[in-house]
Amino acid sequence: MKYDDHPVVRPLLALDGVCVAYRHHEVVHDVSLEVASGEVVALIGPSGAGKSSLLRAINFLEPPSKGRIVLDGAEVGGSRRSLDALRREVGMVFQNFNLFPHLTALQNVMLAPVHTLGIPPAQARERAMQQLTHVGLADHAHVKPGKCSGGQQQRIAIARALAMEPKVMLFDEPTSALDPELGAEVLATMRALAAEGMTMVVVTHEMHFAEDVADRVVFMADGRIVEENAAGKLMRDPQHPRTQRFLNAVRNR
Amino acid sequence: MSMLNEWQDYLPDFLDGLVVTLQLTGVSLLLGLPLGLGLALAMTARRPAIRWPATLLVEVGRGAPALVVLYFVYYGLPQLSLTWSSFACAAIALAFTTSAYTADIFRAGISSIPVGHREACQALGLSHAKELRLVVLPQAIRVVIPPLVGFCILLYQGTSLAFAVSVPELLSRAYSQASITYQFTATLTLAGLVYGAISLAAVALMRARWPRRTPTITAGATRPPEPPTRTHPSWETTSERRER
Ligand SMILES: Nc1ncnc2c1ncn2[C@@H]1O[C@H](COP(=O)(O)OP(=O)(O)OP(=O)(O)O)[C@@H](O)[C@H]1O
Ligand SMILES: [Mg+2]
Repeated sequence: MKYDDHPVVRPLLALDGVCVAYRHHEVVHDVSLEVASGEVVALIGPSGAGKSSLLRAINFLEPPSKGRIVLDGAEVGGSRRSLDALRREVGMVFQNFNLFPHLTALQNVMLAPVHTLGIPPAQARERAMQQLTHVGLADHAHVKPGKCSGGQQQRIAIARALAMEPKVMLFDEPTSALDPELGAEVLATMRALAAEGMTMVVVTHEMHFAEDVADRVVFMADGRIVEENAAGKLMRDPQHPRTQRFLNAVRNR
Repeated sequence: MSMLNEWQDYLPDFLDGLVVTLQLTGVSLLLGLPLGLGLALAMTARRPAIRWPATLLVEVGRGAPALVVLYFVYYGLPQLSLTWSSFACAAIALAFTTSAYTADIFRAGISSIPVGHREACQALGLSHAKELRLVVLPQAIRVVIPPLVGFCILLYQGTSLAFAVSVPELLSRAYSQASITYQFTATLTLAGLVYGAISLAAVALMRARWPRRTPTITAGATRPPEPPTRTHPSWETTSERRER
């Protein structure tokens, strides 16, 4: 139904009836969503809506209690192998960066290519330098994260995820731990990434980012998708009263 | 002044005793620390079948007085026809106590690593073993070293318990000298000074190497506090999460 516009495209990522439960308490109910290659989807909604839970279910940090995740035509199952494949192909950026403080920026970025993909260190170093250059931090390669600003840390975290050359990047409120100025530099990096054609799912409270950068916006409340639409349409002309209420509240803040 | 003269006579014998004490400390640590780390990893494992036995062992090791453990090994095991030298018995008993105490230190160090770092490892596809080796342990070791050094000093002093199974360590030497000369004050003071000198040297060394800075691994800049509105149960550890 969602793909009426371009029905021949097989989605790169498909969620089918995904539920997430904590101790049998279900917080995400039966969510289905398809993301095409190169598409940027913004996930918005009030606190506690289950946005993070859904995002974490996509790469099995929180394995879905029900439903299926299909990545590039292959269903992600419980097996170690399909999980490994998933983690190689899906990058994740956290609200708190979660950089490894005992390693330099370069070592942070090299770690997974060397130890997950088994790339020789010299080659991985080159790849890591490319990614750091990509996010504008080549000059910080040998600095530990603790010495970097929050914005720089988040960009290093983005480089770290990109160094795996993932097919999809997931972002969970990548700017909400940052002041607006530092957030802006991270958003600029993400904007550039979107322009390069990276497939992205972004949980965000940055409405401008959702409107300008995302192709599609999905509004979630109480563990369900309430409304989804092309970004411009949803942001300017929300159909569902719950969406209208949320957008009004956010705008009038 | 007479005490100083007596000390001169005792000193060579005492230094031999000190060598035994240091050997006993060394062997106990060599056996006990890896075991302690192993137990700590087991205590933080996701499978209850691994976690529970390890936790039980640690609780027993911390709960039982070291002297009881020592007697158990020395007098109890021969009844199962296992006989070792008194030095070996003392080393085994102290290694067990060491593993229990250090397991708890290691466990605290491991669980001081933010859950987010582990999730980042998982998201990057690192195996559980690599997550531990490359991210968790290198950070935990910094937290763990000061309490470990503290424990080593206690263990060094605790080796005097081996006196009870007549290992010829420092205290035994002091006691046997005293039982010849009846100079208990002089001999025990000297023994105390030798114990104290080494302990203080170790403390001084540690202070020099790890100055007062309490080693927190979560540099504030790396992990800003969650905004207060969030209700994420970030208090949950990964292992708790996995239990479900
Ligand atoms: N680890 C957890 N254990 C138990 N409950 C959880 C856990 N994580 C989230 N929840 C609950 O699940 C619900 C959805 O939380 P989630 O973090 O997914 O929402 P969110 O939309 O990301 O909110 P926010 O905008 O605050 O980040 C909330 O009620 C939350 O309390
Ligand atoms: Mg969230």
